[in-house]
Amino acid sequence: MRTQNATAYRFLTPYLLIFAIFWIWPIISSFLISFQATRTVPWRFAPAFNWGRLIGDPAFYNALKNTLLILVIQVPVMISLAIVMAVLLNSPLLKARGLYRFAFFAPVVVGEVAYSAVFRLMFSLDFGIVNKLLESVGLAKIDWFSNVTPAMALIMIAVTWRWAGYNAIIILAGLQSIPEDVYEAATLDRVSKLKQFFHITLPLLKPVIVFCAVLSIIGTMQLFTEPFLITERGGPGGGTETLGLLLYRQGFRSLNFGYASAVAYTMAGLAIAITLVQLWLTREPK
Amino acid sequence: MAAVTLTNVVKRFGVFEIVHGANIDIADGEFVVFVGPSGCGKSTLLRMIAGLEDISGGKIAIGGKVMNDVEAADRGIAMVFQSYALYPHMTVEQNLSFGLRMNGNPKADTERRVKRAAEILCIDELMQRRPKQLSGGQRQRVAIGRAIVREPQVFLFDEPLSNLDAELRVQMRVEISRLHKELGVTMIYVTHDQTEAMTLADRIVVLKAGNVEQIGAPLDLYDDPANRFVAGFIGSPKMNFIGAKVVETSNSAIIIELVNHGGARLRKPLRDAFPAIGAEIVLGVRPEHFFEAGEGDCDIPIKADVTEHLGSVSYVYANAGPEELIVEREASRQRAGSDHFTVSIKAERSLLFDKSGARIR
Repeated sequence: MRTQNATAYRFLTPYLLIFAIFWIWPIISSFLISFQATRTVPWRFAPAFNWGRLIGDPAFYNALKNTLLILVIQVPVMISLAIVMAVLLNSPLLKARGLYRFAFFAPVVVGEVAYSAVFRLMFSLDFGIVNKLLESVGLAKIDWFSNVTPAMALIMIAVTWRWAGYNAIIILAGLQSIPEDVYEAATLDRVSKLKQFFHITLPLLKPVIVFCAVLSIIGTMQLFTEPFLITERGGPGGGTETLGLLLYRQGFRSLNFGYASAVAYTMAGLAIAITLVQLWLTREPK
Repeated sequence: MAAVTLTNVVKRFGVFEIVHGANIDIADGEFVVFVGPSGCGKSTLLRMIAGLEDISGGKIAIGGKVMNDVEAADRGIAMVFQSYALYPHMTVEQNLSFGLRMNGNPKADTERRVKRAAEILCIDELMQRRPKQLSGGQRQRVAIGRAIVREPQVFLFDEPLSNLDAELRVQMRVEISRLHKELGVTMIYVTHDQTEAMTLADRIVVLKAGNVEQIGAPLDLYDDPANRFVAGFIGSPKMNFIGAKVVETSNSAIIIELVNHGGARLRKPLRDAFPAIGAEIVLGVRPEHFFEAGEGDCDIPIKADVTEHLGSVSYVYANAGPEELIVEREASRQRAGSDHFTVSIKAERSLLFDKSGARIR
């Protein structure tokens, strides 16, 4: 058995080496870099330099506020929408189910740049279909890119469009694992479809919904593509700048790796903390 | 409590007809078992009575009222599912009371009903547990409890014991029998296990490929099956079917020759039909109806291939030509070694079937 294990590890060695060099070491290294002053060469060890700056940096608090705002509004809306989509997809009355399933999942496979470009066009002030539709029903057109509130709304709409179907497919798998006879028993118990949804479907879906929520929280904490590409690097005036964007600006525009590392560890720490709180709140009763 | 009447009930899934015009009268308070092999339509029939499947044709009445267009919840029935169908996220108590709570039943009445069901089924101790913390037998009790709480006119059981081990099955069988006596409510029970059917039923409905083959009391089906299918299905081990040919007829009996047993002959008195000389027929003999050589009307020598010793009796499996015979014999250690022996068939303990499987009386 031991010889077998040794052989297995020998086969695994190339992978483990690459994993250690390109995964483990960067994680440790960036943690160490977050304690170094990296704005001048040579870098020097200065524990309070980046972390001290972080605590007093208005740009950090702006990015944190924006990220948390998106998290608090977008994630619940998207998960709720995903549940509704999953229930509709699961309906025996639905025809061409495969087509819908593909359509809901398709946004994930569309290239990020392409989808961002299309969103920019759709929400353009004078030529976008969204403003045309608003005007056609007698509403004033919205300048989506120049005002903070519409710009934030646009980010949330885009992220929801991209990920709701993906979550719906995961929730659909959860729905399909609930045995049909539980519903039949409830029907015989004279429990209405609506009550069945709230008292049977939702509680039984809880583990899957928690899973989707955790994935979404982690994803939103790292949100970068949409504010970078759609609202043009967190515009207007930093109104949609997220922690991910702040990290990018500091790390790859200003080449201030120490501060970027501190932001990265803050993002990861927050994602873990929020997830733990959520897991605790939705824990199974003993 | 209520009688259940099925009149020409038909079920079609698309173009496929699954149940072909079932006519069954179930009296108030009766325990009726639908039995048959997989795919015979017994569960479909039960689900139609429950209202979980639409009725494609015919009528189903409960308590004299036609139920074809009545919602499942309003039919006054309760069902126990094969998989128990308990609500996994609720405690036993919540499982029992869920339907009543959701319908705004007064709290005191709900508590009374739950308490009564728990007492009847001895599950008082389990009330705060969840289904995954229960054994198979306990889950089954909770499923039955949930049915009792509804105080239905008719109980429906869909293969409720098939997920339990052999010992627990026997125990639950006795408990369901006791429950029927205690509640006195009409019960319809679906199973593929003829032993369950024989032990539980007041009357058995034997189904095959969507047709009702025979309805009758367990011993009536055992002693007087309508056809070869029922004869083979009821009784364990199953009845032996021995190929035969009519060699002589008179006005009250025929003489048949057992073609695979060296021309052994048996005189069989008949009442109604007399097959022609030369007609191929089948002689049915239950394993327990073979006698010692010379005690019956026709002796046949056989050679044992395998003997199963069950303690009280032994079953000898013998290949006689193309036919396998199963013979029940008194358990005996001396016999264990001897392969060749002769058994005897009594005319009055055997049945005749024609080639199509219909009974010849």
